[in-house]
Amino acid sequence: MAIIEDPEGHETAALASSGVSFTSRRVLEIGCGDGRLTKQFARIAASVLAIDPEQEAVARLARELPMVDARPLDIADLSLPVHSVDLVLFSWSL
Amino acid sequence: MVDALRRAHHVVTTDGIVVDLHPTAAPASMEVGAQTIGHVDAGDAQRRHAAAETALKTVVDAGLFDVDAVVGFDFYTYGDTVEELRDYIVENWRSARIDPAILDAARRALGAAPAGVRPRVLERVCLTRLRPAGGPSARTRPQVVP
Repeated sequence: MAIIEDPEGHETAALASSGVSFTSRRVLEIGCGDGRLTKQFARIAASVLAIDPEQEAVARLARELPMVDARPLDIADLSLPVHSVDLVLFSWSL
Repeated sequence: MVDALRRAHHVVTTDGIVVDLHPTAAPASMEVGAQTIGHVDAGDAQRRHAAAETALKTVVDAGLFDVDAVVGFDFYTYGDTVEELRDYIVENWRSARIDPAILDAARRALGAAPAGVRPRVLERVCLTRLRPAGGPSARTRPQVVP
Protein backbone atom coordinates (compact mmCIF):
# COMPACT_ATOMS: atom_id res chain seq x y z
CA MET A 1 0.00 0.00 0.00
CA ALA A 2 0.96 3.62 -0.02
CA ILE A 3 -0.61 6.89 1.01
CA ILE A 4 -4.39 6.56 1.13
CA GLU A 5 -6.65 9.55 1.56
CA ASP A 6 -10.10 9.35 3.08
CA PRO A 7 -10.68 5.61 2.67
CA GLU A 8 -13.71 6.02 4.93
CA GLY A 9 -15.36 8.18 2.27
CA HIS A 10 -16.20 10.99 4.68
CA GLU A 11 -15.74 13.61 2.00
CA THR A 12 -18.12 11.94 -0.43
CA ALA A 13 -20.60 11.40 2.38
CA ALA A 14 -20.43 15.07 3.36
CA LEU A 15 -21.11 16.11 -0.23
CA ALA A 16 -24.11 13.79 -0.35
CA SER A 17 -25.46 14.85 3.05
CA SER A 18 -25.31 18.49 2.05
CA GLY A 19 -27.38 17.79 -1.04
CA VAL A 20 -24.60 18.17 -3.61
CA SER A 21 -25.33 16.12 -6.71
CA PHE A 22 -23.03 15.95 -9.71
CA THR A 23 -25.40 13.91 -11.83
CA SER A 24 -25.90 15.47 -15.26
CA ARG A 25 -24.32 18.73 -14.04
CA ARG A 26 -21.82 20.86 -15.90
CA VAL A 27 -19.06 21.03 -13.31
CA LEU A 28 -16.15 23.43 -12.95
CA GLU A 29 -13.63 22.08 -10.43
CA ILE A 30 -11.04 24.56 -9.19
CA GLY A 31 -7.95 23.03 -7.64
CA CYS A 32 -8.45 19.55 -9.04
CA GLY A 33 -4.88 18.42 -8.40
CA ASP A 34 -4.41 14.93 -9.81
CA GLY A 35 -8.13 14.24 -9.68
CA ARG A 36 -8.56 12.62 -6.28
CA LEU A 37 -12.04 14.10 -5.96
CA THR A 38 -12.72 14.39 -9.70
CA LYS A 39 -12.84 10.60 -9.93
CA GLN A 40 -15.88 10.60 -7.69
CA PHE A 41 -18.08 12.44 -10.16
CA ALA A 42 -16.41 12.53 -13.59
CA ARG A 43 -18.49 9.69 -14.96
CA ILE A 44 -21.86 10.96 -13.80
CA ALA A 45 -21.49 14.66 -14.57
CA ALA A 46 -22.65 16.04 -17.90
CA SER A 47 -19.23 17.64 -18.31
CA VAL A 48 -16.24 18.47 -16.14
CA LEU A 49 -13.78 21.29 -16.61
CA ALA A 50 -11.04 20.75 -14.03
CA ILE A 51 -8.32 23.33 -13.49
CA ASP A 52 -5.21 23.53 -11.34
CA PRO A 53 -1.95 25.45 -11.70
CA GLU A 54 0.07 22.25 -11.15
CA GLN A 55 0.85 21.05 -14.67
CA GLU A 56 2.09 17.58 -13.75
CA ALA A 57 -0.93 16.83 -11.61
CA VAL A 58 -3.30 17.99 -14.33
CA ALA A 59 -1.47 15.84 -16.87
CA ARG A 60 -1.97 12.78 -14.65
CA LEU A 61 -5.64 13.60 -14.32
CA ALA A 62 -6.02 14.01 -18.08
CA ARG A 63 -4.44 10.62 -18.68
CA GLU A 64 -6.62 8.86 -16.13
CA LEU A 65 -9.89 10.61 -16.90
CA PRO A 66 -9.94 11.42 -20.61
CA MET A 67 -13.57 12.52 -20.42
CA VAL A 68 -12.49 15.46 -18.23
CA ASP A 69 -11.41 18.74 -19.80
CA ALA A 70 -8.34 19.19 -17.59
CA ARG A 71 -6.39 22.41 -17.94
CA PRO A 72 -3.27 23.64 -16.12
CA LEU A 73 -4.74 27.00 -15.20
CA ASP A 74 -5.32 29.30 -12.30
CA ILE A 75 -8.87 30.55 -11.83
CA ALA A 76 -7.62 34.06 -12.58
CA ASP A 77 -6.67 32.93 -16.08
CA LEU A 78 -9.90 31.10 -16.87
CA SER A 79 -12.43 32.70 -19.17
CA LEU A 80 -15.89 31.15 -19.35
CA PRO A 81 -19.22 32.48 -20.58
CA VAL A 82 -21.58 33.84 -17.94
CA HIS A 83 -23.93 31.24 -16.39
CA SER A 84 -22.27 28.37 -18.25
CA VAL A 85 -21.78 25.83 -15.44
CA ASP A 86 -24.19 24.30 -12.93
CA LEU A 87 -21.74 23.54 -10.15
CA VAL A 88 -18.47 25.18 -9.16
CA LEU A 89 -16.35 23.14 -6.77
CA PHE A 90 -13.42 24.62 -4.88
CA SER A 91 -11.45 21.49 -4.02
CA TRP A 92 -9.35 22.60 -1.04
CA SER A 93 -8.28 25.52 -3.17
CA LEU A 94 -9.90 28.64 -1.78
CA MET B 1 -10.02 34.36 -2.72
CA VAL B 2 -12.85 36.84 -2.97
CA ASP B 3 -12.00 37.32 -6.63
CA ALA B 4 -12.20 33.56 -7.21
CA LEU B 5 -15.62 33.46 -5.60
CA ARG B 6 -16.74 36.42 -7.70
CA ARG B 7 -15.61 34.56 -10.81
CA ALA B 8 -17.56 31.52 -9.64
CA HIS B 9 -20.62 33.72 -9.24
CA HIS B 10 -20.15 34.96 -12.80
CA VAL B 11 -20.02 31.51 -14.42
CA VAL B 12 -22.54 29.56 -12.34
CA THR B 13 -26.16 29.45 -13.42
CA THR B 14 -28.72 31.29 -11.31
CA ASP B 15 -30.05 27.96 -10.02
CA GLY B 16 -26.60 26.39 -9.71
CA ILE B 17 -24.42 25.92 -6.65
CA VAL B 18 -20.90 26.66 -5.51
CA VAL B 19 -19.23 24.24 -3.11
CA ASP B 20 -16.14 25.01 -1.09
CA LEU B 21 -14.10 22.40 0.72
CA HIS B 22 -11.23 23.46 2.94
CA PRO B 23 -9.64 22.33 6.19
CA THR B 24 -10.67 24.27 9.25
CA ALA B 25 -8.25 26.16 11.47
CA ALA B 26 -8.23 23.22 13.89
CA PRO B 27 -4.71 21.77 13.90
CA ALA B 28 -4.24 18.48 12.09
CA SER B 29 -3.19 15.64 14.35
CA MET B 30 -1.01 12.57 14.00
CA GLU B 31 -2.77 9.42 15.20
CA VAL B 32 -1.93 5.77 15.61
CA GLY B 33 -5.08 3.74 15.92
CA ALA B 34 -7.37 5.69 18.23
CA GLN B 35 -4.43 7.38 19.96
CA THR B 36 -3.68 11.01 19.21
CA ILE B 37 0.09 11.48 19.22
CA GLY B 38 0.37 15.22 18.60
CA HIS B 39 -0.33 18.05 16.21
CA VAL B 40 1.13 18.71 12.79
CA ASP B 41 2.86 22.07 12.47
CA ALA B 42 0.87 23.35 9.53
CA GLY B 43 2.89 26.51 8.97
CA ASP B 44 0.67 29.28 7.67
CA ALA B 45 -2.33 26.98 7.28
CA GLN B 46 -4.36 28.63 10.01
CA ARG B 47 -3.93 32.01 8.38
CA ARG B 48 -5.00 30.59 5.02
CA HIS B 49 -8.02 28.86 6.51
CA ALA B 50 -9.05 32.08 8.23
CA ALA B 51 -8.68 33.93 4.94
CA ALA B 52 -10.94 31.42 3.21
CA GLU B 53 -13.60 31.87 5.89
CA THR B 54 -13.32 35.63 5.56
CA ALA B 55 -13.68 35.40 1.78
CA LEU B 56 -16.82 33.32 2.09
CA LYS B 57 -18.29 35.77 4.59
CA THR B 58 -17.37 38.67 2.32
CA VAL B 59 -19.26 37.37 -0.71
CA VAL B 60 -22.28 36.42 1.39
CA ASP B 61 -22.33 39.84 3.06
CA ALA B 62 -21.98 41.43 -0.38
CA GLY B 63 -25.18 39.72 -1.43
CA LEU B 64 -23.63 37.47 -4.07
CA PHE B 65 -24.48 34.18 -2.40
CA ASP B 66 -26.70 32.63 0.22
CA VAL B 67 -25.32 29.84 2.39
CA ASP B 68 -27.38 26.70 1.89
CA ALA B 69 -25.46 24.23 4.02
CA VAL B 70 -22.36 23.90 6.16
CA VAL B 71 -21.04 20.42 6.93
CA GLY B 72 -17.98 19.44 8.95
CA PHE B 73 -16.23 16.12 8.57
CA ASP B 74 -13.02 14.28 9.44
CA PHE B 75 -10.52 13.59 6.68
CA TYR B 76 -7.88 10.92 7.34
CA THR B 77 -4.68 10.36 5.40
CA TYR B 78 -2.98 7.00 6.05
CA GLY B 79 0.58 5.92 5.41
CA ASP B 80 2.30 2.57 5.63
CA THR B 81 4.92 4.05 7.91
CA VAL B 82 5.42 7.19 9.96
CA GLU B 83 8.20 8.24 7.60
CA GLU B 84 6.01 7.82 4.53
CA LEU B 85 3.31 9.97 6.10
CA ARG B 86 5.87 12.59 7.13
CA ASP B 87 7.34 12.76 3.64
CA TYR B 88 3.92 13.03 2.08
CA ILE B 89 2.95 15.93 4.30
CA VAL B 90 6.19 17.78 3.72
CA GLU B 91 5.82 17.33 -0.02
CA ASN B 92 2.13 18.07 -0.38
CA TRP B 93 1.17 20.45 2.41
CA ARG B 94 2.48 23.96 2.03
CA SER B 95 5.04 24.77 4.75
CA ALA B 96 3.91 21.93 7.04
CA ARG B 97 6.14 19.70 9.17
CA ILE B 98 5.88 17.21 11.99
CA ASP B 99 8.03 17.70 15.06
CA PRO B 100 10.66 14.91 15.44
CA ALA B 101 9.44 14.21 18.98
CA ILE B 102 5.96 13.51 17.63
CA LEU B 103 7.42 11.26 14.95
CA ASP B 104 9.33 9.33 17.62
CA ALA B 105 6.21 8.96 19.74
CA ALA B 106 4.27 7.79 16.70
CA ARG B 107 6.91 5.16 15.92
CA ARG B 108 6.72 3.88 19.48
CA ALA B 109 2.94 3.79 19.42
CA LEU B 110 2.98 2.00 16.08
CA GLY B 111 5.45 -0.55 17.43
CA ALA B 112 3.09 -1.29 20.31
CA ALA B 113 -0.06 -1.34 18.18
CA PRO B 114 -1.73 -4.48 16.86
CA ALA B 115 -0.72 -5.68 13.41
CA GLY B 116 -2.43 -3.81 10.62
CA VAL B 117 -2.68 -0.48 12.40
CA ARG B 118 -1.41 2.34 10.17
CA PRO B 119 -0.35 5.85 11.17
CA ARG B 120 -2.70 8.55 10.01
CA VAL B 121 -3.21 12.30 10.03
CA LEU B 122 -6.59 13.76 10.85
CA GLU B 123 -7.81 17.04 9.37
CA ARG B 124 -11.12 18.62 10.19
CA VAL B 125 -12.70 19.87 6.97
CA CYS B 126 -15.56 22.25 6.34
CA LEU B 127 -17.89 21.99 3.35
CA THR B 128 -19.91 25.08 2.47
CA ARG B 129 -22.63 25.01 -0.16
CA LEU B 130 -23.51 28.38 -1.64
CA ARG B 131 -26.32 29.39 -3.94
CA PRO B 132 -26.40 32.59 -5.98
CA ALA B 133 -28.43 35.07 -3.98
CA GLY B 134 -31.96 35.50 -5.19
CA GLY B 135 -31.97 32.14 -6.98
CA PRO B 136 -35.09 29.97 -7.08
CA SER B 137 -34.31 28.06 -3.89
CA ALA B 138 -32.53 30.76 -1.95
CA ARG B 139 -32.80 30.57 1.80
CA THR B 140 -31.79 33.08 4.35
CA ARG B 141 -30.71 30.62 7.02
CA PRO B 142 -28.13 27.90 6.42
CA GLN B 143 -28.82 24.26 7.06
CA VAL B 144 -26.05 23.26 9.45
CA VAL B 145 -25.28 19.57 9.52
CA PRO B 146 -23.08 18.42 12.43
